[in-house]
Amino acid sequence: MTLVNKMIVKISNAVVSIFGSLVLVFFIIYLLPGDPVLSMLDPSTATPEMVANLRKELGLDQPVYVQFVEYFTNVLKGNFGQSIVNSEQVLPKILEHLPATLALTLTSSALAVVIGVTLGVLSAIFQNRWIDVLSRFIGLFGISMPTFWSGILLILIFSVYFNWFPAMGSEGWQTLVLPTLSLGFVGAGLIIRMVRTSMLEVINEPFIVTLRAKGLTERMVMYRHALRNAMIPAITIIGLNIGELMAGTVVIETVFSRQGIGRIVADAIMAKDLPVIQGVVFFSAVVYVIVNLLVDLSYSIIDPRVRRSH
Amino acid sequence: MKEIVNEETVLRVPKWTLSKRKKNISFSNIFLLVAIVLVLFIIASALIPKWIAPYSPTYMNTESILSEPSSKHWFGTDYFGRDVFSLVIYGSRDSLIIGITSVLIGSLIGGGIGAVSGYIGGYIDHFLMRVIEILMTIPGILLALAIAAALGPSLMNIVLAVAASSIPGYARVMRGQILSIKKRQFVDASRSIGTHSWKVFVWHILPNSWSPLLVMGTIGLGTSILIGSGLSFLGLGVIKEVPDWGALLSQGRGYLVVGWWMSTFPGLAITLFVLSINIIGDKLRDTFDPKTSRMR
Amino acid sequence: MGAIHLKLIKWKKLLTITLASALLLSGCASSTTTKPSSEGTTKKEEVQPKEGGELTYALATSPDSLDPHRSGLAVAVRAFRTIFDSLVVQGSDNSIQPWLATEWTVSEDAKSYTFKLREDVTFHDGTPFNAEAVKYSFDRIIDPKTQAKNAVALLKPYESSEVIDEFTIKINLATPSSAFLSNLSQAMLGIVSPTAAEKYGDQFVKNPVGTGPFKFVSWTENADIVVEKNEEYHWGPSNVENKVVPYLDKITFKIIPEEATRIGSVQSGQVLAAETVPPQNIVSLNNDPNQQLLQVNTIGLPYTLFFNQRKEPWNDVKARKAVQLAVDVDAIVKTLYLETYSRAWSPLTPGILGYDESLENKNKPDLEKANQFLDELGYVKGEDGIREKDGKKLILNYVDGTPNREKRNDIAVIIQQQLKKVGIKVEINITKDIASVVQQKADYDLYGNSQVNSDPNALRAFYHTTTPEEEALVKRLGGGSDPEIDQWLEEGTVELDPAKRIEIYKKVQQKIIDEAWIIPIYVFPYTVAASKTVNGIKFDALGYPLFNDVNIN
Repeated sequence: MTLVNKMIVKISNAVVSIFGSLVLVFFIIYLLPGDPVLSMLDPSTATPEMVANLRKELGLDQPVYVQFVEYFTNVLKGNFGQSIVNSEQVLPKILEHLPATLALTLTSSALAVVIGVTLGVLSAIFQNRWIDVLSRFIGLFGISMPTFWSGILLILIFSVYFNWFPAMGSEGWQTLVLPTLSLGFVGAGLIIRMVRTSMLEVINEPFIVTLRAKGLTERMVMYRHALRNAMIPAITIIGLNIGELMAGTVVIETVFSRQGIGRIVADAIMAKDLPVIQGVVFFSAVVYVIVNLLVDLSYSIIDPRVRRSH
Repeated sequence: MKEIVNEETVLRVPKWTLSKRKKNISFSNIFLLVAIVLVLFIIASALIPKWIAPYSPTYMNTESILSEPSSKHWFGTDYFGRDVFSLVIYGSRDSLIIGITSVLIGSLIGGGIGAVSGYIGGYIDHFLMRVIEILMTIPGILLALAIAAALGPSLMNIVLAVAASSIPGYARVMRGQILSIKKRQFVDASRSIGTHSWKVFVWHILPNSWSPLLVMGTIGLGTSILIGSGLSFLGLGVIKEVPDWGALLSQGRGYLVVGWWMSTFPGLAITLFVLSINIIGDKLRDTFDPKTSRMR
Repeated sequence: MGAIHLKLIKWKKLLTITLASALLLSGCASSTTTKPSSEGTTKKEEVQPKEGGELTYALATSPDSLDPHRSGLAVAVRAFRTIFDSLVVQGSDNSIQPWLATEWTVSEDAKSYTFKLREDVTFHDGTPFNAEAVKYSFDRIIDPKTQAKNAVALLKPYESSEVIDEFTIKINLATPSSAFLSNLSQAMLGIVSPTAAEKYGDQFVKNPVGTGPFKFVSWTENADIVVEKNEEYHWGPSNVENKVVPYLDKITFKIIPEEATRIGSVQSGQVLAAETVPPQNIVSLNNDPNQQLLQVNTIGLPYTLFFNQRKEPWNDVKARKAVQLAVDVDAIVKTLYLETYSRAWSPLTPGILGYDESLENKNKPDLEKANQFLDELGYVKGEDGIREKDGKKLILNYVDGTPNREKRNDIAVIIQQQLKKVGIKVEINITKDIASVVQQKADYDLYGNSQVNSDPNALRAFYHTTTPEEEALVKRLGGGSDPEIDQWLEEGTVELDPAKRIEIYKKVQQKIIDEAWIIPIYVFPYTVAASKTVNGIKFDALGYPLFNDVNIN
């Protein structure tokens, strides 16, 4: 199979996944209790007539399959509908907030890879020495500290005490620093483990032993060959967890009062605002799929073995 | 196929001690001992909190709210005047329930799907993997959020929400593992002597494939408590007479300046628990995994 | 132990100081005509206030709408009060004073009001302010298409408006209403630009145009709302000193829901002021040499727990009394709010017309009596300490909303422990869907709510018997019904003599407490932490901030 063919298969699979996720979310939200119409009207003044009218206006009086078909024909036309809560158009709303979330996801993934790979490699090289133990501790702290807590801690230390970075907002690179630290450490925790493991495996593989035997310096062996192999798990983990990182922004965006689709979707779920939830799920699915296609591509760049197998 | 190769590399389990042949007294053994003691202590707390905690976790001493850690209150008191140490001890039960049941449900369902998918292959594999892929595109927390919002806050619903969001991860790992084992010589050997397909599956493939799930599960124990904590941060948590660690953490976050102990100690409890479970899990894996024991 | 105790005492002392100064502040904040700029807020004010600058003001939640007619949240009022003016303004002594209306007369039957309007006012979009604009605004509120929220209830019993001449308008009511003028002073009945409201339609919520001291600039969802000074402004109300163009160039309302972040932002100087300071931070901010704390009690109905009298056994006054006697409200206010909130005693807050002070310190917790009442009802303690009758356990379903606003969820946690002592098991159910659980299904035994309001007539919506048609749509909180209370509430609405109203509402309050329909918990103090460089933040009669006098050093 050529690379192009392979990519076509992957992309068509991806499209199926994205629409599948929309279908799934449609039904999950449909099952949510509570009537969105009633939450839109003021109970002290609403009349049953107003309720019925509004329901009709939103098409919520139709049977579920009609709503379903209608929604999907609209999405195919690029129309994501409007928010039930404040009748805002969904597409522009998401496009407005997506960049902030993407920026944060990107910086925290980058930080996660840098910290994760560095500590993972050090950990493997100095196996069972103090640096190994320390790295593993850091990794476990990363995955066992809730982001809202570490976020507040960072605000207290770096905003209130030192006054180095802003505590909130989404304007300017400075506002990215603390949220990135908070979210990046979670990703780093996962990566440290994976990199360490695969480094250890690689170190004991015959080709490394051969390289050593050939008289390459230890540093050359480690950085040129072993590290290259260790990058693969790191990137895969990021690829698989990019969705989680984006979802992590739900909490982080609230803590740091950042704009972004995380906060939008959290509000939307509470309000049962289906069009908005659908819109966000669609876009996060798209991001997930694109990132994972890139991850697939990057294997062939990083790992010569994969390249050969094409 | 390339994909499988990669999955396998990723999912290979870390080894706490790769050099088992070396002297036995090392960091790892000390840690292992500490870890075992800690986990036993936490389990004891969950089973018989009455014997360990100095106070009732619901006793509110309005005369000493927000007091610092002292010999009277080891972990201080919270804003209700409850003893934080006793809360942590009593809170271990629900924390363990959230952690363990959600991991069990998630790994059984996810692992099951992955095993079936990987072993049978073909269209079924294709179909199941599509479904899993779809689940993966929806971030777990989002799924948990939607489920928690749909079913309303209760301990069981949080467990369900967390379990559901972890299913795809387990499924993929299990499938990758099964695929790689299916090709091993001993499986072929067993098949060639005429063993039934399902017998091969049950007796040879399954026992050889659980170790990555174990590793994922040990991490999952902690993350599920944390997801529960995140839900209570977002206002979807449960209010119980005795809060779990995650809820305690979330409650104490507004008091970091005036009472750091309120959230720090429950947070430490989660970290130490996860840490200990990981250390023990790695050791278990190293000892019992047929793959590594063969290497000895 | 000794150290802990000492610490607490020190703390309490600090808090008393805070409270004292807060009272001072709230006293002077809205006192309008008395000695200008004497005590409290700022001594520097005597110096010529500095012009220019931007105030960043952190809000605790996101406003739902900047269209005053379509909003239902107090936080939105804080933002759009800067954009919209009202016909009249209510002083801290509850007197009604001119604003956009210069004078008014009331007809003999008290059913029509004729207002003379200011002739020199224009909306931000250049539209002239006149009788047509006032008529448009009020007709807009009662038009169902507008989907107006709280404004509808406030405008009741409005029927129609007649434009007499360009600057004279006659407003007709269906029945007399003593609360009408006071309601007109509320921002939710602010006057909107007819041109802009027509132009933006549905989107007026995001494009508000009024006559206020500040003009709307932008609203970025979940981030901020920006308003800039109105260069034309010279019709300020009597409760501010600077009646002309504000000193500030602009105000940016930043939306920061997370408590710790909001306080962190004001401490780090990222914002100049932050609202709703949690009790535990008041102490640390008091010790901060760069910060000042401003506090004002809000007016209306305090945070009150309502018994659902549709459910057994809470339809029996003895059961309600038992709970009332078993709940130690003082302990709640002391632990959760560290005495920074004051305890509520009545269905009304202090400061509102007719508030009955005699209710204060009347009900003391009395476990013995509570137990006695429950015994009399036939509830016997079981083995687990929970009372039961006919095999049914005495369980109280305590419903509260999320997020945990003003630590209301924590009140439930305390009450759970307090009621355990008399053998009542409290189940706490936190829901995000108050609308359906409480208002549609009335599926609760105890639920708490509060309302900011300027007139005791607000009691009517909470305590007057509802018709079956009204019930079908929305179940009134508590659901209690009493012919005497109904009659008094009806009298209170139409009675025009304040002295008589006071007597009427005192009776209402006493009966509601005596019948144990409710347990009043706390009066919410609106607390703002601000940098010491900020001068002149004031509050109106309802406790909403005013920015006309604000200047930054």
